[in-house]
Amino acid sequence: MPFFEAWRLAFRVILSNKLRSFFTLLGIIVSVGFLVAVVAIIQGMNAYVKENIAGAVIGTNAFQVRRTPITIGLLDDEQVRIIQRRPRITRRDAAAVGRALPEARAVALQSGWPTPSSDVRYRNQRVGDVLVFGVTPPYQTVQDYRFTAGTPLTDPDIRERRYVCALGFEVADKLFGNPALAIGRKIRVAGREFTVKGVIAQKGRVLGQSFDGFVLLPLSTFESIYGRRKTTVISVKMNHAEAVAPGMSRAEEAMRLAHRLRPGEENDFTVDKADALVEFWRNLTRVLFTVIPAVVAIGIVVGGIVIMNIMLMSVNERTREIGIRKSLGATRADIRRQFLVEAITLSTLGGALGVAAGWILANIVSYVSPLPARITLWSVAVALTLGAGTGILFGVYPATRAARLDPITALRRE
Amino acid sequence: MPDCVIQTRELSREYQLGSEHIHALRDVSFAIRRNEYVVIMGPSGSGKSTLLNVIGCLDSPTGGEYWLNGQEVSRMGDLALARVRNREIGFVFQTFNLLPRATALHNVELPLVYGGHSARERRLRATEALARVGLADRMDHRPNELSGGQRQRVAIARALVSRPSILLADEPTGNLDSATSQEIMQVFHRLHADGQTIVLVTHELDIAAHAQRVVTLRDGRIASDERTRSAA
Repeated sequence: MPFFEAWRLAFRVILSNKLRSFFTLLGIIVSVGFLVAVVAIIQGMNAYVKENIAGAVIGTNAFQVRRTPITIGLLDDEQVRIIQRRPRITRRDAAAVGRALPEARAVALQSGWPTPSSDVRYRNQRVGDVLVFGVTPPYQTVQDYRFTAGTPLTDPDIRERRYVCALGFEVADKLFGNPALAIGRKIRVAGREFTVKGVIAQKGRVLGQSFDGFVLLPLSTFESIYGRRKTTVISVKMNHAEAVAPGMSRAEEAMRLAHRLRPGEENDFTVDKADALVEFWRNLTRVLFTVIPAVVAIGIVVGGIVIMNIMLMSVNERTREIGIRKSLGATRADIRRQFLVEAITLSTLGGALGVAAGWILANIVSYVSPLPARITLWSVAVALTLGAGTGILFGVYPATRAARLDPITALRRE
Repeated sequence: MPDCVIQTRELSREYQLGSEHIHALRDVSFAIRRNEYVVIMGPSGSGKSTLLNVIGCLDSPTGGEYWLNGQEVSRMGDLALARVRNREIGFVFQTFNLLPRATALHNVELPLVYGGHSARERRLRATEALARVGLADRMDHRPNELSGGQRQRVAIARALVSRPSILLADEPTGNLDSATSQEIMQVFHRLHADGQTIVLVTHELDIAAHAQRVVTLRDGRIASDERTRSAA
């Protein structure tokens, strides 16, 4: 029997038992759907972290020179002690890095961790827990801030320690309703009065976290309020992505010189870029990627056993049909092919339904939660291959049993 | 023997049924010539169905030789036997043995599917075979939409479609009333007149009257082998 005939026959059998076929395939559908959905969400997160979070925290094509490294998770006591012994990053350091990188788009100094927060008031309006940053003007370039109203902070603001500020969109929106109305108004930050110079365009939310709830003060003004003991961070923005890595090594050299470190001595600062965040996320997903196959494998094996069972049942029910076919000249290979093709068609259908279920699930998740989802082609390919493979693996035994039936015994069966 | 379709020598078939050893066939030697119409008779348990199954390659003998068209079938492997069943033998069963979900046309096409014929040729030959048994207008009906006699005629068409050298029928009228039985016997009679070699198993005497030759089995042996009419 040619393959096409076997395939057509298989389809007819499957469709004539729709409900049974569906329940047979439930295991495969669930496992494959889970695989596709989870991979879609992880891939979506990967892309999202790379494109949005990293850019939003540090700025694109940017790196930082910091006293404390950008880490997520806990440092052990020894690491904490080493970091605490490190000197602060100073304006002199920033100037040294700036001299070492004349081609950099911007070199900024900003207040570092921990970032203070404060209420911001305008008349009887109040916005709570607004992050307060002290920055030098290039910081606004590093962060790619665009101003919807007013103007950025300037060098004279720093030099003259002016009481002016730039507002994140959310703060301006909550206090004034319209960003344009905020310009020139006097608001209170940390108990002092500031004049609003500019309002920064919306950056949006990432994973439910707003990136617009902040106020920028001139670094000098910030230090006169919060003191000079705060750590500072140097931010450097390069012109393009390829320039980031060489920029980082030149910044490192400049910092070692500025801190008078001898060769062999460890750095008493950290040069970091957003990759640290992306890297952390990658490590997390790497763990997931080792766990998922195990979960999916269990589901597939269980689903495969169900398919095998149903196929054995089907062979048993259709013993007489097999006898008839054999009496008409079907060879063992013909019968084996018929049942194997049926098992493969069944399980591949399960794989396809699983992909559909996974796609729907991923879309539901990305719709109701901030988690983004991206269906990747390879996960669909893996899903379909898994489906077909399960059919082959678990279809062989029932098909072989069917093929081995003795025609006369098979025909006598009622 | 000249022009023999079937020749057997000391054919035997033994079963082990629990602790019991059954000799269904003992040293059966006989020959069937081309275009003969043979009826095998005998009481139940005499081995007539076993003989037909062995001739039809559904069952294998445990001893002796069986030659079909000059090929020694008793030495063939599984694959060769399937080929013989497909090309040389047309089998008609008492219980029709049609595929319930398939149409009459598809049932008749089935041997040609396993014979590797093209879809166009299958359709052509199956239509022709159905016309031969008078069912040209019932091709798209499923077995449950057909009467017993019509079902058996579909089964006969299926047995004929691969143009076998021999047509075997195991109690083909066993499930039919006498009027329908006569109809079916008429079909066999016509096929024989067209040159078909037929071997038919029955225990009804009036059915046996249609044949040229009656072989009677008793306890797995040939008890008698008679020509009923001189015309042969």
